[in-house]
Amino acid sequence: MHPPISLILFFLTAGLSIGSFTGIFLIDLIKGLNSNVILITKLIATALIGLGAFSASFHLGHKMRAWKAIKRFNTSWLSREAVFSGIFGFLLFISFLIQLSYNTKAYIILDILAVITGWLSAFSTAMIYTSNRFVPDWNTSLNTLYFLNMYGFLGTSLASLILYLNGNVESTKIMLIIALSLFIVGLVIRVAYNVRRYIIKLPTLNDALNLPQNREVKVLDKGSTTDNYCTTEFYYKKGKKLLPSLLPPAYILTFAVPIMLLITCIAKGTNTSFLALSLMSATVGSFIERWCFFVEGRHVQNLYYGLL
Amino acid sequence: MGTIMGQLALVIDLNTCVGCHACAVNCKEWNTQAEFGPLSDFDPYGEKPSGVWYNRIMTYEIGNYPHTQVLHLPKSCLHCQDPPCVPVCPTGATFKREKDGIVLVNYDDCIGCKLCSWNCPYGCREFDEADKVMKKCTLCIDRIYDEALPPEQRQPACVLTCPAKARFFGDIEDPESEAYKLIKERNGFILFPSADTKPANHYLPKVETKVEVDDNVLKPDNPIFLEVLSRHKGGNR
Ligand code: SF4
Ligand code: SF4
Repeated sequence: MHPPISLILFFLTAGLSIGSFTGIFLIDLIKGLNSNVILITKLIATALIGLGAFSASFHLGHKMRAWKAIKRFNTSWLSREAVFSGIFGFLLFISFLIQLSYNTKAYIILDILAVITGWLSAFSTAMIYTSNRFVPDWNTSLNTLYFLNMYGFLGTSLASLILYLNGNVESTKIMLIIALSLFIVGLVIRVAYNVRRYIIKLPTLNDALNLPQNREVKVLDKGSTTDNYCTTEFYYKKGKKLLPSLLPPAYILTFAVPIMLLITCIAKGTNTSFLALSLMSATVGSFIERWCFFVEGRHVQNLYYGLL
Repeated sequence: MGTIMGQLALVIDLNTCVGCHACAVNCKEWNTQAEFGPLSDFDPYGEKPSGVWYNRIMTYEIGNYPHTQVLHLPKSCLHCQDPPCVPVCPTGATFKREKDGIVLVNYDDCIGCKLCSWNCPYGCREFDEADKVMKKCTLCIDRIYDEALPPEQRQPACVLTCPAKARFFGDIEDPESEAYKLIKERNGFILFPSADTKPANHYLPKVETKVEVDDNVLKPDNPIFLEVLSRHKGGNR
């Protein structure tokens, strides 16, 4: 599949936003945090989800009609993603305003609802891909798990930095342990995802044409001399060539670098540059990794063009 | 989706289709100027022309040489009875009509998210980069119900134009229709059954033809045969 950069940016910003707010919310529940940290996180998380929505709108042919995406909530995961991420951002912002302006803890209700809708939005995003039966690489619960886990490790990386910069050394350590565990789980899921790609049986051109498997079939003519929407959207020739050289850096930046840096921080003491470096590495790595995720996706319509 | 009352569809005879692309050309011609048009073209006279087509014809070779058969496959939206492209559309722009089972896109509601095309296993939807909406075969809905046209003209443009008469149109659930009878009598089949979409469009299978060649034709002293041989070997012409 051709990787849409606008959507990859949405995954990253939504992950950083939902994950970091959840992290801070949970630490506040367990250990209690000063209200400034929570306020800052809400502001950053609101800005990030807003940025994500802005970026995702570039994927659409008609941005101004984007609101119409709420209409098929009952059947479409994309519609659910739009609704839940919208509510998440709205709740966060209102909660930020209430916390800033009134001396009340009533915003907690909004925060709980924001965490729930945030993760429902993350789940819906993952399901857009997991539910697609025609890209067998995506059609696995490993994909859903990876998306949720990625939101987790990106968010907790950001939350660790916010906590540390605000002087919450103890809470930073807890957050670092959570982040480290999520990175390790993420690595395991990603490896399993890649292994699965090699062992799944893809349908054949015979399946697509409804011919017996023992008949040899080959494409003689694609019907047009140049590419069309179907051959460029579902098959990214340049990407396929680049994939083998981009997957290793994706693994190194997303998992190896952050895991090493976080272990060092936990064992030898935290410092800002390590936390910032780990966050940057995970974000850039995830950008490349999600790019690979699209290029790795093999759509069955390519069978008709002899491209699978 | 409520109950579908009928299911209009195309039935294409692969035995007669000669792969001339006339159906695709007439489809483009009709639909680019009719209610669902235009179907945008880019660089039409340049080196890399591209554009939106509702119907494309692909050609396959089946079997091993010398026992091969050529198969021309015209492919447009199959108006699936369980269309995976419909529920994923976030706006409801893509829908299946209850009246006749035609799957359509309402261009005014389409936000151009492309998700419907990602969920079509047949590659039968094309994004129009000029209009920024998703387009696909409408079964010429603007012809088949047009009472201003004489009844015999109320058919999809591709069906009317096919010089080999390989294309048929009708309600595949109506036992009286030609489409229904052809599917039943000539073992009409569907594409990609494992995709589980219940395509409405059907294809009539190719019947294997064996050409008996008179042995005399292949005799080494047959003058025509000798001439062919000499040309083949690059001999004098
Ligand atoms: S052929 Fe594709 S576009 Fe047409 S109804 Fe079926 S799934 Fe939808
Ligand atoms: S591209 Fe248009 S028709 Fe297709 S799913 Fe998106 S909004 Fe619906």
